[in-house]
Amino acid sequence: MKKRTMMLAAAGMMVALLGISAAAEESDLAYVQGNGKLVVGITDFEPMDYKDENGDWIGFDADLAKAFAQEIGVEVEFVEIDWDNKILELDSKTIDCVWNGMTLTDEVMSSMETSNAYCDNAQVVVLPSEKAGDYASVEDLADLNFAVEAGSAGEAEITALGYSATPVKAQSDALMEVAAGTSDAAVIDALMAGAMVGEGTGYADLTYTFGLNSEKYGVGFRKGSDLAAELNAFLVKSYEDGSLMKIAETYGVQASIIEQKAE
Amino acid sequence: MALIMEQMPIVFRALNVGFLQTLKLFFVTLLGSLPLGLIIAFGSMSRFRPLKYFTKVVIWIVRGTPLMIQLLIIYYFPGLVLGKTIWGGGESGRFMAAAVSFIFNYACYFAEIYRGGIQSVPVGQQEAGLVLGMTRTQIFFRITLLQMIKRIVPPVSNEIITLVKDTSLARIIALQEIIWAGQAFMKGSQGISGAIWPLFFTAVYYLAFSGILTVLFGALERKLDFFR
Repeated sequence: MKKRTMMLAAAGMMVALLGISAAAEESDLAYVQGNGKLVVGITDFEPMDYKDENGDWIGFDADLAKAFAQEIGVEVEFVEIDWDNKILELDSKTIDCVWNGMTLTDEVMSSMETSNAYCDNAQVVVLPSEKAGDYASVEDLADLNFAVEAGSAGEAEITALGYSATPVKAQSDALMEVAAGTSDAAVIDALMAGAMVGEGTGYADLTYTFGLNSEKYGVGFRKGSDLAAELNAFLVKSYEDGSLMKIAETYGVQASIIEQKAE
Repeated sequence: MALIMEQMPIVFRALNVGFLQTLKLFFVTLLGSLPLGLIIAFGSMSRFRPLKYFTKVVIWIVRGTPLMIQLLIIYYFPGLVLGKTIWGGGESGRFMAAAVSFIFNYACYFAEIYRGGIQSVPVGQQEAGLVLGMTRTQIFFRITLLQMIKRIVPPVSNEIITLVKDTSLARIIALQEIIWAGQAFMKGSQGISGAIWPLFFTAVYYLAFSGILTVLFGALERKLDFFR
């Protein structure tokens, strides 16, 4: 008797799960519009997403996300996430997209539905200022221990070069490693290095040298989401009417913007 | 040093906001897990065997897996399986998921402490109660409970002080507690970037708070010291 009830319960759960997964097949755009809000996963990252004096999210990516949400007729909600968990956050629907100066690596593009690239960036090597003069080329760096953000484009570059890399939790942790002398050098985003390293910052004794590669930023959605195509169309439209460049100029990133053309 | 002085007001404001979140999680966890622990303790001592073994398995699972994994499972699993999250994506949803994880986790630890406390009361006292014609409920509330409370104060206070620091685990699901707030300045937040000292300074908050708790529990122990 007990066995039969258990089996019935198990069968009931299976049916329920199937029904729910079938419902999940619907368009992601419709899902977001049904919720009335686009939940944007971000980290505090000047100049892309950061808080103003009132605690409101601003920045190039934040303002662009607001404009996009308006375009598809929903509210925008920014949520700070742990960058390591971005795919988990997307798949469990706790956020709808990651829009935070995300480098379009192969891993990112295979695990998410990504938009077209909209901004250029590079990975740069950060060294203590007094040592920076000793290294003239990438080959000179072979003996150094690098601190890199786990899963970042910088880690991929260092691993590809075959140099020794210590993965840490965030780009800022990589800088702390160098400042504390526990690693010889770090590899981080050029946009971030520009804002965080050198005179007048907390890392006045560090400097950034040459770039290792050039790379591009994009926005990530759930795998198979139709929002990516929707955003691509919006990027073209706002590039053509000049509103994209206007936002870029507000945050001083206009030189890095990539031209958007209809396919 | 001048730079740090300049950063102080902004950093302290952010750390206070983060610490408030830490405190909120701390008190909500205590409020939920102290009573829930007693229920689980009764379950694990039940004379109804299926309930007893079920409770023991639950305690084994909760105590046998890292709280960090429990947080990840409780927050992300519903969305992954059901296709729609039950928590909502915002900060309140993250707090609720964290509170549920912490309450359940700590309730299981408290349950074992309670069980130890109850079973440490000599069985002869229960027998005496039965002889006098008291019911089991009366025996528990009139004979066992106060002795149990007195005996569990040291292990419970130990667990509670661990909880103060464990709240920092909630940052894995991006709950913005004090460590998160301190770390934000390393990367850049509110015009301060590359500042390491706020992260280290969070230790002072924890130390002060656990100091207050230690004093309070010391006083409680002395108050309960009137019988042996």
